[in-house]
Amino acid sequence: MLELIDLSKKFKQLYAVKNLNMFIEKGEIVGLLGPNGAGKSTAISMLSSLVDPTTGDVRFHNKSILKNPSPIRKIIGMVPQEIALYTDLSAEENLRFFGRIYRLKGAELKQKIDEILELIGLTDRRKDIVKKFSGGMKRRLNIGVALLHNPELIIMDEPTVGIDPQSRNYILETVKRLNEEKQMTVIYTSHYMEEVEFLCDRIYIMDQGNLIASGTKDEIKRILSAEKTIVIKADRLNDIFIESLRQDPTISSVTVEEKKVTIIVPKEINIFPAVLKLAEEAKLELNSVDIKTPTLEDVFLHLTGRALRD
Amino acid sequence: MIWIIVKKQLLVFWRNPQQLLLLLGLPIILIAILGASLGGLMEGGPVSIDAKVAFIEHGNEQTQIDQFLNEVENSKLPKDAITAINNSTEKMTPITILKEDILGSDELKNIIDLEIIKPREKANVLNNKEYAAVIEVPENFTYQTLKSIYLKKGTTGEIQVYKNEGNQLGSTIVTGILQEYQEQLSFSTFAGKQGITEEALQVDPNAIIGETVTINQKNPVTAKNYYAVGMAVMNVLFIASTIGSIAFLEKRRHVFNRVILADVSRWVYFIGIFISGTIVGFFHLSIVYGVSWVLFGLSWPNPLGFFVVTLGLAVSVGGLSVLLTAICFRLNSEMITNFFGSIIVTVFAFLGGSFFPIGDLSKAIQVVGNYTPNGAALTAYLAILRGDGISAVLDQFAFLIMFAAVLVTIAAISFPKRGQIV
Repeated sequence: MLELIDLSKKFKQLYAVKNLNMFIEKGEIVGLLGPNGAGKSTAISMLSSLVDPTTGDVRFHNKSILKNPSPIRKIIGMVPQEIALYTDLSAEENLRFFGRIYRLKGAELKQKIDEILELIGLTDRRKDIVKKFSGGMKRRLNIGVALLHNPELIIMDEPTVGIDPQSRNYILETVKRLNEEKQMTVIYTSHYMEEVEFLCDRIYIMDQGNLIASGTKDEIKRILSAEKTIVIKADRLNDIFIESLRQDPTISSVTVEEKKVTIIVPKEINIFPAVLKLAEEAKLELNSVDIKTPTLEDVFLHLTGRALRD
Repeated sequence: MIWIIVKKQLLVFWRNPQQLLLLLGLPIILIAILGASLGGLMEGGPVSIDAKVAFIEHGNEQTQIDQFLNEVENSKLPKDAITAINNSTEKMTPITILKEDILGSDELKNIIDLEIIKPREKANVLNNKEYAAVIEVPENFTYQTLKSIYLKKGTTGEIQVYKNEGNQLGSTIVTGILQEYQEQLSFSTFAGKQGITEEALQVDPNAIIGETVTINQKNPVTAKNYYAVGMAVMNVLFIASTIGSIAFLEKRRHVFNRVILADVSRWVYFIGIFISGTIVGFFHLSIVYGVSWVLFGLSWPNPLGFFVVTLGLAVSVGGLSVLLTAICFRLNSEMITNFFGSIIVTVFAFLGGSFFPIGDLSKAIQVVGNYTPNGAALTAYLAILRGDGISAVLDQFAFLIMFAAVLVTIAAISFPKRGQIV
């Protein structure tokens, strides 16, 4: 359906995206994963025809969209990371305006507005001004606007940033439902690993403008099949212990959080005795040492040496 | 599709009552303040000042006339000429005309409080700051003047005026009247010497008064009317910066991207901004003038001329709106709208004469001011208020439309092209 071929975008001397290759099949949910600044939003802007690439091509049904973006624009519903709404207008007025620019009118527009308000759970608040809405309600309306014209492909750029868990679940369930019931193709970017794991059939992982991994969830997790993730917890971690772990040649990655150190080691190595010994030498009292099932977060950690939300 | 963009823009304006109040309330408040505080300076009817003027006359006019007629009678002039001079001298009483027909006329009574002072009190009057001016008629003024006019001997007498610098307005008015009076007397002398008809030898008090209190015989423009127009043409420029800011907010919030992704041409959006600026500008001017009509009695003698100028200015505002939008989009910054709203509008207002009639200070500034949209519109509106027809404002209308066309062209060149907008 949609193909990105060697796509690059250079702003002055800096590559926001470099040699990106992707494909999206009809009816699938594709995740685009990466930390802030990875190049996800730029990639989305290029594939939706908003920004021309510096080099490369975007092909929709085997035709380049660079010279004629109309075909892809007609089938795209875009949910930007920002609340792209008129906050001084009501929910209904926003939907009416965007419906009109999608060339809907009359009874069809009215019916579509009712349907969307029902879908996003804002029927009772249709006359309310958007700036009085909670963050979650704004996010839902932001999605609703993108669905007005029954798009075949919906692009969601971090649609759950800054909202409460309840609204987040509502949005995730809605996306899942749209995909299952209407066979809507979805491109979903996030730096929340669990969202991508819940929704996506296939995943592309980006970092610093580069594509660093791609495949189904299982394929990506198999990157870690030769390694295991161990989480060490202590009340007060100290520098001597952390430094000792970093100098151990068998440990491929050390990530420190407040009271937790996550290390990645080859599967065949029994690291427990070494960890206990290093803790004793650093006069550190450990609370627990656990082996964890690999997650996408661990894959990202493994590939970049950084956590996704860094 | 353009109308959908325009309608939304108007709705966004309507939903910002604070912004609306500021855009509409500010000019009304400024008109009231400036009109009230500077009203006396520019009233076109009787000037609301009370200039106390002392009038000192040396000698008796009738005695001088008798002396002159006596000389004529004893001269070697032909009998017919003597009869003609006798007849016309009955009407030629220069001091009485000045005192009663000019300074004591109904038109000037409200302005000038004339006091006849004896020559011996001259020193006291000159030291009294209550008097705006002291007029002193020298000895034998009438006699010399008649002799100069009818017998072509000597020159007309000269009236002395002492001005009180502390009462500049009153003394300027008196000086102006006397200058005109003196010129007419001189003309009478010249005409008499050239053998011009008897009627020309008369001083016409109405001509002198008329020149003083009205401008070129046209309808006077009061201060409130002047500032109503000055503030309206200045404040309507803020519509352009407001629309530019709203447009930039649409870009920053990615609403503009949504419009583009709906396969709406960016030129549709561009034209929508231009039309929105024009419509909002037109309504803004109409409302401000409507309120000025209700509160300050500003009315337009030529509604068609008013409509043409308002339309021209509104189109210029549309041009400014789309240019500011284009620059904001190009620079990805709202800085230009802030700069326009705070600096450029002030400079335009100053040059265009919104704060005071700057053209009175310098001809060059007046020319420059007429090349600002507000200045051109102000000139045209004032022409209509003075009673001119639509032909008198066509130049300004053409300028406003040209100005808008140039801005739209620059905006179209600067507006980011497809694939450049993020």
